[in-house]
Amino acid sequence: MNLFEKIFNYQLHSRLDESGAYTITSHERSWLKAMLEHSAADDAFDSGTLEKLRGLLAGEADSHLFRYVEEKAGSIPKRIYHPLLRTLRRMIMNRQGVRVSYQLRNGEQWENRQGFPYKLEYSMVKREWYLIWYPFRERSLMMTKLAHIRAVEEISMPPDKAKHMIQHIADMLLQRKQRAVIEVIPAYNAELSRILYAFSCFEKEVAYNDSTNTYRIALAFPGHEAEFVLSKIRFLGLRVRVAEGDYFKHRMLEAATKALARYGDESV
Amino acid sequence: MAKESFDKEIQFLRLLALTSGAYNRQQFAKRLGISVHTFDKTLRRLKDIVQTVNHPNELSAAAGRELAEHLQFQYYESADPVLLFLFRAKSLKESESHRLSQLVAALQTQELTAKELLEQCCSDLPPELIPPDEKTIRSDLKYLEDVGVICKAAGGRPYRYGLDRSIVTRLTDEEQLDLYDYVEVMANTQVPSVQGYLLRESLKKALKPLDGKHPDWQETLWYKYHYHSRILDEAHLPVVLHAIDSCRRLKFMYFSPKSSLSYSSQNTNPLFEKETKGYSDTMLPLKVVYDHQYGRWYLVGFHRQRGLLKLRMEGLTQIEGDTQVEAAYFKEKQDLLAEKMKHSWLIDTGEPVRVIVKFYPPAGAGSGSNFIKDRVLLQGQWGCITEEHAGYFIYEIIVNGITEIRPWLRSFGSSCEVLEPQILRRQMIEEWKELKACYEPVRENL
Repeated sequence: MNLFEKIFNYQLHSRLDESGAYTITSHERSWLKAMLEHSAADDAFDSGTLEKLRGLLAGEADSHLFRYVEEKAGSIPKRIYHPLLRTLRRMIMNRQGVRVSYQLRNGEQWENRQGFPYKLEYSMVKREWYLIWYPFRERSLMMTKLAHIRAVEEISMPPDKAKHMIQHIADMLLQRKQRAVIEVIPAYNAELSRILYAFSCFEKEVAYNDSTNTYRIALAFPGHEAEFVLSKIRFLGLRVRVAEGDYFKHRMLEAATKALARYGDESV
Repeated sequence: MAKESFDKEIQFLRLLALTSGAYNRQQFAKRLGISVHTFDKTLRRLKDIVQTVNHPNELSAAAGRELAEHLQFQYYESADPVLLFLFRAKSLKESESHRLSQLVAALQTQELTAKELLEQCCSDLPPELIPPDEKTIRSDLKYLEDVGVICKAAGGRPYRYGLDRSIVTRLTDEEQLDLYDYVEVMANTQVPSVQGYLLRESLKKALKPLDGKHPDWQETLWYKYHYHSRILDEAHLPVVLHAIDSCRRLKFMYFSPKSSLSYSSQNTNPLFEKETKGYSDTMLPLKVVYDHQYGRWYLVGFHRQRGLLKLRMEGLTQIEGDTQVEAAYFKEKQDLLAEKMKHSWLIDTGEPVRVIVKFYPPAGAGSGSNFIKDRVLLQGQWGCITEEHAGYFIYEIIVNGITEIRPWLRSFGSSCEVLEPQILRRQMIEEWKELKACYEPVRENL
């Protein structure tokens, strides 16, 4: 098996595109066959569809891709496919409104809140699906865990209003963006690759100053992700320092001071 | 023709994706161990692929953009793997690309024999190309059949060929959408995923009729904290996994990611040969490890002189299968690895240590929400919470060495206090002291 197949070639790909044709190789089918063994498949398809797909793939070679691969230091995989995903994805695609009944973080129950569903988002760290939506009464953007939603129901929405909502939410997300600049301590430049990998899950720009041999990483992220960015900075410890972003500098100082206090006299 | 290698493209894209345009041409070329001329050539080639692969509508907008900018990870556009185009880099002659696309297009609507396909190919050919002969068409059909794109229809000779797309065509519209979503979710949450991403692209084309009615049907699901460059290393997986499967050693040239050079041109003219910082070596591959903390891959194997060896996949170039070993020998080494890695936080095979940590829940949090505990349970691997009290809980784990777990513990900040072993406790104190000193001047400015 080779991932660099002629059939995937870019010129061929674009020619096929022009004629509206598409192909599926046995590599892709073998991968799918392995994926259909995953328990998530039960939540993703009606049982008839799943049976049909498995039947169609029965003659395909078993993929050995997963046999010798071990995943380490990740979060425990929870339910990858939430049953509400199918319903909600269709509402979003159809640009319809939603009525949601769910539980708040403090345990309080909210019934039949009306709003506009914008996107479904999966966090690789928390291993949870979230509904990003705009409840009409609260008039603010919410990220609600699908696990906390008890019921959803579609409500009709005029196309003009939906279009306006989409734009409004996109603007709100843009406004929420924050920025911080992280500097790699030059003594750790040999570990640059590790540091850049750690930040490669963010939108970022890297600047290199040749004369001082210093790297600066400018991160852009949504405001509600600040805690996660902080945990990454603490994760890397002495290798990096916050160069710009008073909030982060302050929080790092606070973390160091409080952590030392935990260790009491020993830390003196 | 020599086997086409993509090592240079892989290293190039990795450096570009990770450093996000930090280097100028000279600096970039120097770090890759290639000439500025080769840098320009490679960049042109990759740009050409990106522009061809992109949807024609986006072409004009993308054409002027720099490649680095294109690769810059956009948080809110995270379902599309920007680096996937690497896997479209296999070179193909103009005439062959024409023929293959004609064959596939002809089979779109009906099953045809080799002769019928030949006729169609000849009649639809642009005048500047030489018409193919039957032998060429038959070898093209064999290739397409080998990769599973087409299959023979029922019935005897002469064989009729059809496209093998039953996993799509036998489904209803609703089922096709479910399939698309499933493939997308799994490609984005599981590794390895390149095949899944490729399938997702095929399905996108199959579901094209949706575009008119639901312009944003592909834009409903987002994924956050993805390590996009992880798919570059998947390029090596087929050869590595095949070697493991057949108990075969691997030959390779290794560049430690800590060295300043991450690739070196293979010059055929010895006069231009530079001194490389990589070294060639051989080892028996046993396992591939994916590290979720950084989105990196490791190859773990057995080296005749150095014993168990762990190499970063990104440092491996010129990988090739080598001699085969006895199945019993392979099994023995795999068992050894399994035993040694039983307590590896990541890949450390050093001595096991018992680590005991006191975690403090966030101040003021009600009993319903203790995100510290949630995180420990989610990420603490096989460690256990052994005691729970009102203001704290105790977590214990036996782990090989303390190096790999330390960053994770430190990421909890002041919510975590290491109790044992003493050496780790001391290290944490020292690190926090240094960090405090580093930020102390901040206080005055706040």
